Amino acid sequence: MTAIAAERYTGASIKRSEDPRILTGAGRYVDDIKLPGMLHAAFVRSPMAHARVLSVDVSAARELPGVVAAYTGAELEAMTVPGPDALMALMGWQGPTPEFTLLATDKVRFAGDPVAIVIAESRYLAEDGCELVAVDYDDLPPVVNAAFALDPASPPLFANLGNNIASPQTRHEFGDVAATFAGADRVYDFHVDVHRHQNVPMEGRACVASYDAGTGAMTVYAATQSVHVSKVAVAMRLGMEQDKVRVLAGDIGGSFGLKIGASREELAAAAASRDLGRPVKWVEDRGENLTTSGQAREESFDVRAAVSKDGGLLGLDVKMVIDTGAYPGMGAMVPSIVEAMFPGPYRMTALGFESTAAITCKATYVAYRGPWASETFVRERIIDLIAKDLGLDPFEMRLHNAAVITDPPAVMVTGRPLVGVTTKESLERIAQLVDFPAFRRRQAEGRERGVYLGIGVATFIEAAPGPREPGEPSGPMSLETMRLRLEEDGIVVLFTGQMPHGQSHQTTLAQIAADEFGVPFEQVRVVVGDSDVVPFGLTGGSRSATMTGGVALHGARQLKARVIDVASHLMEASSQDLEITDGQVFVRGDPASGIPVGEVARRAASGEFGAEVDASLEIVATFDGGEGGWSGGSHCAIVEVDAETGIVKVERYVVTEDCGALINPAVVEGQIRGGVAQGIGAVLLERSAYDEDGNCQSATFMDYLLPTACDVPRIEIEHLETVPLDADVNFRGVGEGGMIVAPPTLVNAIEDALSPFGARIYEQHLPPARILELIAEADTIV
Amino acid sequence: MPDISLTVNGATRTGSPEARKTLADFLRDDLSLTGTHLGCEHGVCGACTVILDGRAVRSCLMLAVQAAGSDVTTIEGLGPDGEMGDLQQAMWDSHSFQCGFCTPGMVMQAAAFLSAHPDADEQQIREALSGNICRCTGYQSIIDGVLLAAERIRER
Repeated sequence: MTAIAAERYTGASIKRSEDPRILTGAGRYVDDIKLPGMLHAAFVRSPMAHARVLSVDVSAARELPGVVAAYTGAELEAMTVPGPDALMALMGWQGPTPEFTLLATDKVRFAGDPVAIVIAESRYLAEDGCELVAVDYDDLPPVVNAAFALDPASPPLFANLGNNIASPQTRHEFGDVAATFAGADRVYDFHVDVHRHQNVPMEGRACVASYDAGTGAMTVYAATQSVHVSKVAVAMRLGMEQDKVRVLAGDIGGSFGLKIGASREELAAAAASRDLGRPVKWVEDRGENLTTSGQAREESFDVRAAVSKDGGLLGLDVKMVIDTGAYPGMGAMVPSIVEAMFPGPYRMTALGFESTAAITCKATYVAYRGPWASETFVRERIIDLIAKDLGLDPFEMRLHNAAVITDPPAVMVTGRPLVGVTTKESLERIAQLVDFPAFRRRQAEGRERGVYLGIGVATFIEAAPGPREPGEPSGPMSLETMRLRLEEDGIVVLFTGQMPHGQSHQTTLAQIAADEFGVPFEQVRVVVGDSDVVPFGLTGGSRSATMTGGVALHGARQLKARVIDVASHLMEASSQDLEITDGQVFVRGDPASGIPVGEVARRAASGEFGAEVDASLEIVATFDGGEGGWSGGSHCAIVEVDAETGIVKVERYVVTEDCGALINPAVVEGQIRGGVAQGIGAVLLERSAYDEDGNCQSATFMDYLLPTACDVPRIEIEHLETVPLDADVNFRGVGEGGMIVAPPTLVNAIEDALSPFGARIYEQHLPPARILELIAEADTIV
Repeated sequence: MPDISLTVNGATRTGSPEARKTLADFLRDDLSLTGTHLGCEHGVCGACTVILDGRAVRSCLMLAVQAAGSDVTTIEGLGPDGEMGDLQQAMWDSHSFQCGFCTPGMVMQAAAFLSAHPDADEQQIREALSGNICRCTGYQSIIDGVLLAAERIRER
């Protein structure tokens, strides 16, 4: 590999060390794994949304040549132990906990619910076997939406709950809500809906489970955002000791929140492997991915807004209902994050927030890139609606309400300080980059020719990891741990619990450690994906830039101090006089004194320094998040709406983003653009659709449309860099922001384009047919 | 099971795939060429794209037996000796990809297109790649990589 020349790697768009394998077909994804004696699993799935299971007969499947085993839900249940969802247990969930089995036994709760698993010599044969499984169902009324789920007359999906409530209605008030509304010049009421859509990583869920009867150990090759969460899930549900479960992960084809821990199907495959004593592979196909892996959003909001006549957003009162789908996990936990984030970067002084989570006959709600993002959509949408009603420019209303940097910082009414938030600066910079007056002239000219252009702006903040509150032992996301070792050939190895699936951690963490330790980039290796060797960790919540970047920096600093201490004995010099540059320890000012760090490691390992010197060149470092902080920024879209076809073209998209100090600008920009593309998909194309019987209508890529290279424009990005808060670590996560703020940005632009028709938009999904309806409805009203 | 023979990445390969086995599964399972990925198995996402007799095709929509006698290039055979070729190098330089799952199909589609249209502009490249779905990047870095490769090839 050719050496990369850079004064500092951190802050430069260093080429990714992941790419040579990925670009030559040498990446290793779960489906690429072949083990001796490996079998293949396929699932029999319910065609009904809600039904009693009267019988499951797998005998014909078992007789098919090539089929090795077939298990009903009851048989599988006898091979496993009941247990809670590992992620919910990890997050300390205290609310209603539905009891259910890995495969459905007494009833099915959504179309696609697995009822049997067939294991065969090939996936083709396993699917043949599934065709031979006979299941007798007795229809139950499908609970197809949250409103029906919350009706006391609806049939409960889970007997132990007695109703369909995953999280009971709660209300919290921050500030004086009643007084704020009583004192407002205007009070507005809105109902805003966010539709169901989903992660759709290009690689679906997948695993190879391999049980060794001799040692009683299970190895699972997984696609997961955390090998440790997967390990805990397998151990809990299979009734195994945690040290007997090893989870390995290689390259992962995206996730966006979907692949946290181990799903019911993966646990079933692991149970089958243990029973058969042979490796079992399960790779979900796209139909399974779209209908059963998980779906997100589908939240509705009743919002009251207290506003002063000059456009001051004084307070909000919000009622949220979330549709958690059939097997509630993340969906029950999301409303509390939505509540905490609802004020955003604005100076409102009151918030009332009520939420209810409803269980329905749909695929389970899962985390999707900014799971709480609907608060940004609702807030940024209603600001435009209110501004229009008051005759104000929505952009000016945002500026008027945005908290500015003060000392001490402004505090969100829900409690967290808005330290270092540069919303105002990002908005002002957007105005400079876009030239609003010039756009308005072009818009007016276009309308005369029947060309409908629109502009939309929205702003957001992203807790990445969020500010540290006074007196807290660590930032809001707990400690991050890293093990670091200097090998005897001079390679610095970082062991991290981060589990990258596109985020380029093997590059970015090496950049930071190389700078801090004083070795070339190529001399740092980042080890991920082995629960036996990496510390606990999870890639998610935009945590890794700050938390793992921070622990890489501090860990490299600690390891360097240890190396210099050993070198001081070797070189008979004071530690204060030594430095590490370009992989060698030097006496400062003496270029001839250099000793390669690998030589120091070899001598340290020889034991020659005796017991007095701590010569172990392997350390464990932790990082508490430092001063923490927010990411954030503003986005602006210019769209053209074709009033004849309803097609929306995104003509220009501009981002001003503040994620503090950039580790690798190309990686940061890739995260932002990818998030914006998903936001474009969410608004213009994507919807996880169900019919009135609870059948999923979006089971193929002909029905669930993803944005293509012709749908996503060039995305212009300008970086603001926050005034540093921490002495060393001012990197902020940037993984979720694009997807959080692109939907309101686009919908604001579309409404602006449709303003000649008087359209008002209270929803997020705007495919061509819906655009034409909005124009027609508005025409009727006018 | 019929015996088939075809050329894959310059070498003659034979096999006896079941009639229903797709070319993608044959390449991956029988020939252990796992660089070709399966993203949808219904011909929409393009992750399984390979070059067959000079044209980009979806190996999930074709049966292995239909490829008998053909000349197939997969991602493993695109560059010299498994190293990166010009296009792959330009994509590395452009930070084209993130998770890498769509990558083989995207690269093979772009390679087939560039060899026929070395002077293509950005819009033509976008249209040529619009049948290949990437969920990570928003496409801009991929388009930039193809443009850079085209520029370098023209300059030589």
